[in-house]
Amino acid sequence: MFIAFYHVPFIKTISMANIENQIFSSYQRNPDLYDEIYDKEGKVKEIYQKLFEIYGEHTISDYVNLNSKAKSSFFNQGITFQVYGDSNVQEKIFPFDLFPRIIDHKEWDIIERGSIQRSKALNLFLWDIYHDKKILKDKIVPIDLITSSANYLDQMNGINPPGGIYNHISGIDIIKHNDGKYYVLEDNIRCPSGVSYVICNRTALKKALFGVFNHYQTYSVTNYAENLLELLESVKPKGVDVPNVVVITPGMYNSAFYEHSYLAKTMGVELVEGRDLFVENDFVYMKTIKGPEKVDVIYRRIDDQFIDPLEFRPDSALGVPGLFAAYKKGNVTLANAPGTGVADDKAVYTYMPQIIKYYLDEEPILNNVHTYHCSRPDELKYVLEHIHELVIKPVDEAGGYGISIGNKLTKAEIEKVKAEIKENPRKYVAQPIMSLSVHPTYIDETESFEQRHVDLRTYTVLGKDKEFVLKGGLTRVALKRGNLIVNSSQGGGSKDTWVLKK
Amino acid sequence: MLARVANNLFWMGRYIERSEHVARYLNVNYFSSLDAPNIKSQDRQFVLRSMLFMLGDPEEDESKFLKEQDVLYSIGLDPNNPFSIISTVKLARENANSARDLISTELYEAINKFYHFVLSYPKEVFVKNGLHDFTSNIAEMTAILRGKIRGTLLHDSVYAIIMMGINIERATQITRMINSKYNDALLSQGSHGDKFSKSFEWTTLLKCAESYDMMRRFYKKTPTSISTLEFLILNPNCPRSVMNSLNQVNEHVRMLNPEKRYNNDSTAFLIGRVRAEYEFKYVEEIEKDIKSFIEDILDSLVKISNKVDEEFFNY
Repeated sequence: MFIAFYHVPFIKTISMANIENQIFSSYQRNPDLYDEIYDKEGKVKEIYQKLFEIYGEHTISDYVNLNSKAKSSFFNQGITFQVYGDSNVQEKIFPFDLFPRIIDHKEWDIIERGSIQRSKALNLFLWDIYHDKKILKDKIVPIDLITSSANYLDQMNGINPPGGIYNHISGIDIIKHNDGKYYVLEDNIRCPSGVSYVICNRTALKKALFGVFNHYQTYSVTNYAENLLELLESVKPKGVDVPNVVVITPGMYNSAFYEHSYLAKTMGVELVEGRDLFVENDFVYMKTIKGPEKVDVIYRRIDDQFIDPLEFRPDSALGVPGLFAAYKKGNVTLANAPGTGVADDKAVYTYMPQIIKYYLDEEPILNNVHTYHCSRPDELKYVLEHIHELVIKPVDEAGGYGISIGNKLTKAEIEKVKAEIKENPRKYVAQPIMSLSVHPTYIDETESFEQRHVDLRTYTVLGKDKEFVLKGGLTRVALKRGNLIVNSSQGGGSKDTWVLKK
Repeated sequence: MLARVANNLFWMGRYIERSEHVARYLNVNYFSSLDAPNIKSQDRQFVLRSMLFMLGDPEEDESKFLKEQDVLYSIGLDPNNPFSIISTVKLARENANSARDLISTELYEAINKFYHFVLSYPKEVFVKNGLHDFTSNIAEMTAILRGKIRGTLLHDSVYAIIMMGINIERATQITRMINSKYNDALLSQGSHGDKFSKSFEWTTLLKCAESYDMMRRFYKKTPTSISTLEFLILNPNCPRSVMNSLNQVNEHVRMLNPEKRYNNDSTAFLIGRVRAEYEFKYVEEIEKDIKSFIEDILDSLVKISNKVDEEFFNY
């Protein structure tokens, strides 16, 4: 089966008639949607042509076979999540698509520069609102937006995080609208996840279809861990020579545990749980087989509220008592810093163009989706009158929860949403319904390729005077036909994403 | 290495080793009984009782009739029996999971495949005609696991902890098998004039320990009680012997503590002491009172394991 993909001289041009009978023959293209591989006239775009030829040579049964092999490889490697049933626990793999998404270097350059710009602006914004609050005093961002945010931590006021970095790791969710331009949907700067799937997807694709890599010069994605470690080491606490870095996880039953263990393993650092650490005289130690060992940098995959029961939620068993006191003294680095959640709030998002301008004196490289604030009376009025053409989002929810898409609601549902907004306008923002671009995606049920909406999460790492963007990112796919929500918690899948070299 | 994770790795090693020994015990006893030379050893009830005895869950009621399928299911695939193979494999994988960042991808994948193999093995097939297939697959997969441990891990403290777990468990399981077969040899005496010292059960025991061929090569004689015990307990070159396991534990504890002299409260000291005791034993001493020997060695192994726990896993 591999032989078929490797030795067959597929470089030769294949007649359209031949392709018609193959795996793309039943592909239905909706001309109203922006298709990543077809242009408006229905011709395959240049960068996808070779890939299209190679895939087009194969029958559906070849593809089904490869697909099931790739799936069993994920299963055997234990790259799974658990579904708790009545009597037993089932393990499932994350849906993964063997048809990659390709981004050429020109488009990627915009994405990369834009991601860095946003991450840096967010970092400066966080420093400001936890120190002098100039942007609030200058009335660029309304003060009550910050003070009313559940994610603003008073405890962070006046604290200088080592290296001056708050959002060490930022996951920026980007879409392509039907105007062909990239828009940022949201910034995730608490504990953005998914990067391990970027690497797994690549590994799986390389194993299944290695021949295709002969025709494309694609950037590697396996350098993420080494860059992450280097940048985490660059923000070590003062007075530390060679820092001891650890990753802290809520434990093996957490749905992202695979990712936590993957990152620790590839960085070559310890994966700890709260119970492995303790604080003495405001220094953090881990309990090893040879006694206590000091810890300097903690890449934490535990939410703010759970990191220290003495300072935040007292019922948290995941955190480390006294950790925040050690942090305040500057004896340990937390990545990301506590309190970053205030800046990835969907209400703050709407001020991103102004925030970028204010701190960097630059125009935003990536577009923001126009946003209506329900907290402003005139905009609230517009939203209530136009719900059917808007997406309504709660400002402080992650994972795609609580989102209402106007044109999918019944009359009764519209009334319900209206009532909810009126009750707590601060809690909601509204945006025009963006048309996410679509990409051919293999669908198990129909055994064929169909159009599905996709987005892209990029991973940006900030260190002391250095930054890194992973050249790839996670393309998430909404597997349900017509669905716009791509989050894995809502049944989304993912694709390998190739960034081409010049 | 984190103390908690070291604990996980130690038990991962123990559970991998345990599942293999239990599987082999089932396989060898069942199949060698089919054409055993005496009626007692051929008796299915006798074999099933021996299996339960070895597992540490003996059936006390001598008049009770054991159903073959029930016993096999209970030892092989019953998730509610903490001693069953499926339970030990689950625990092996769970321990591997929480140390996943420290072990190689190759080792983890092999453990994961092992787990899925056992978990998805159909119960009806196993109790009817799958015993050989199931147990021989376990033996093969555990051999792969040992290969991955040896061949893909850094030979540092992670490796040392796993190897200590494996070898303490191996010595324990071999001693349990000796105990069980010693018991069987006593019970099967008398029928057809089969004397204790020349019991067919010694051959079975050697096969259970995968040491029969090498034992024949070494002694060039039919196994007797004394040669079997000598080989499985005292021969340092037999990879399944208690002596060999103790040597391995001793070697690996030294990787954790490279100093020359040990505090007399340390694990290394205790292991060295137990090891030295067996190095200078002779088999006639053991044969005089096998029962006390078995109790003593199991007791020493428990003490060693507790000491490891106390010294390395508790801070």
